[in-house]
Amino acid sequence: MPKVKVPRKSTIVDMTAMCDVAFLLLTFFILTAKFKPQAVVAVDVPSARSTKAVDNAIIITVNTEGKAFISLKEKQVRYAMLDKLTEMSAGHYPGVVDLTPAQKEFFSLTETWGTPIEDLKRVTTMTGTQLKEYQEKQMPGIPFDSINNQLGDWVSAARYATGGDIQIGIKGDKNSNVEYVKNIIKRLTDRDIHRFILITSLATGGDAPAETAATPDADKPK
Amino acid sequence: MAQMETSGGGGKHDGGVRSKKMSTRVDLTPMVDLAFLLISFFMLTTTLNKPKAMQLNMPKKTDEIDKMDVGECQVLNVLIDTLDAVWYYEGLQVAGLQKTSFSGDDGIRKEVMKKLKKVPAECPPGKKWVDANKDGVKDPAEISMGPRDAIILIKMLHGARYKNMIDILDEMDFTGCKIYAIQDPDPIEVEAISNGGTVKEFAKEVVHQ
Repeated sequence: MPKVKVPRKSTIVDMTAMCDVAFLLLTFFILTAKFKPQAVVAVDVPSARSTKAVDNAIIITVNTEGKAFISLKEKQVRYAMLDKLTEMSAGHYPGVVDLTPAQKEFFSLTETWGTPIEDLKRVTTMTGTQLKEYQEKQMPGIPFDSINNQLGDWVSAARYATGGDIQIGIKGDKNSNVEYVKNIIKRLTDRDIHRFILITSLATGGDAPAETAATPDADKPK
Repeated sequence: MAQMETSGGGGKHDGGVRSKKMSTRVDLTPMVDLAFLLISFFMLTTTLNKPKAMQLNMPKKTDEIDKMDVGECQVLNVLIDTLDAVWYYEGLQVAGLQKTSFSGDDGIRKEVMKKLKKVPAECPPGKKWVDANKDGVKDPAEISMGPRDAIILIKMLHGARYKNMIDILDEMDFTGCKIYAIQDPDPIEVEAISNGGTVKEFAKEVVHQ
């Protein structure tokens, strides 16, 4: 019988094609990647079944202490909102009238704000590191009691600045007291704002069983 | 592996320098390694869970025109306490307060579904709210409405978790319940829940909505 000759093949594979694919994917991911903006206010969002996307919204973040912060994605909208607020309620808030263009620019460069209006003048002259420290440690939140409803003014200003084409989002922590969110809704209905969106994250894998209560004030029904 | 030819340029030979033909092939394996490393980095850092939202419409405060005649039999009260438990009762009968949970199909969802089916079948058709002072004449044909729908009143007790509010709104969405409202709980209800569901004798009669 004749011997079957197995031809010896080189083990080296041509990597060019693989390299092409790898770089193609790499380019795709680099171009589509949007880095998580550093969250100034850490909030653990509850999950729900809803799949509606948030596109154009002013987000009111309520942290576990009940402080309110506003954030807007677009820089121009933030600028316009500040302008509108100045125009609408200059009499109310003397602090906002004589902001210099540089201070306004500073305001519009920061996404999340939790500063009372009377304090804006001071905060908008801070340096980068000062601002960071302020945001991390001392940001007092925007006042929203019935007498001094600055949150309502901000939201109204944002609505006017965009011609009403903006959603009002409320982003609460899942373990926080529901009262905080209800208060904010109450203050905004005072300003004739009735439609809200509640920011949630998509529930993963069917129904998550209700977790046990973890809030300190949840010991006993009041 | 691609290697550089490092032979010294021919010093011995006098006749023309003969350069060695080098292969143009370069080994791409490290490059592919690098590319995949970067791919995994970008894949992992990309935010995949973009925020979603849930619509919530609150009623206007001074809306007298759209007042509806709500029948007791339409209403299902859902209360959520601070320990993540769900309580419910129908109509005004606080005495019938019962405890359930959010657990999937057996929890509050079952009760809401039951109510949604029961109301159009059993409740008598309603009447539109007519302001008798404005137009004294009431035409029965005009004011009677079609079959009723269930109304769910959601009451979050003071100190309940925000997560539970989202959960119950999610249930409303899931069961297809169209009419629901978030309200403040009544003191009688709060007391009944803190007593574990039993209502004191005097309170059995009336709950002010």
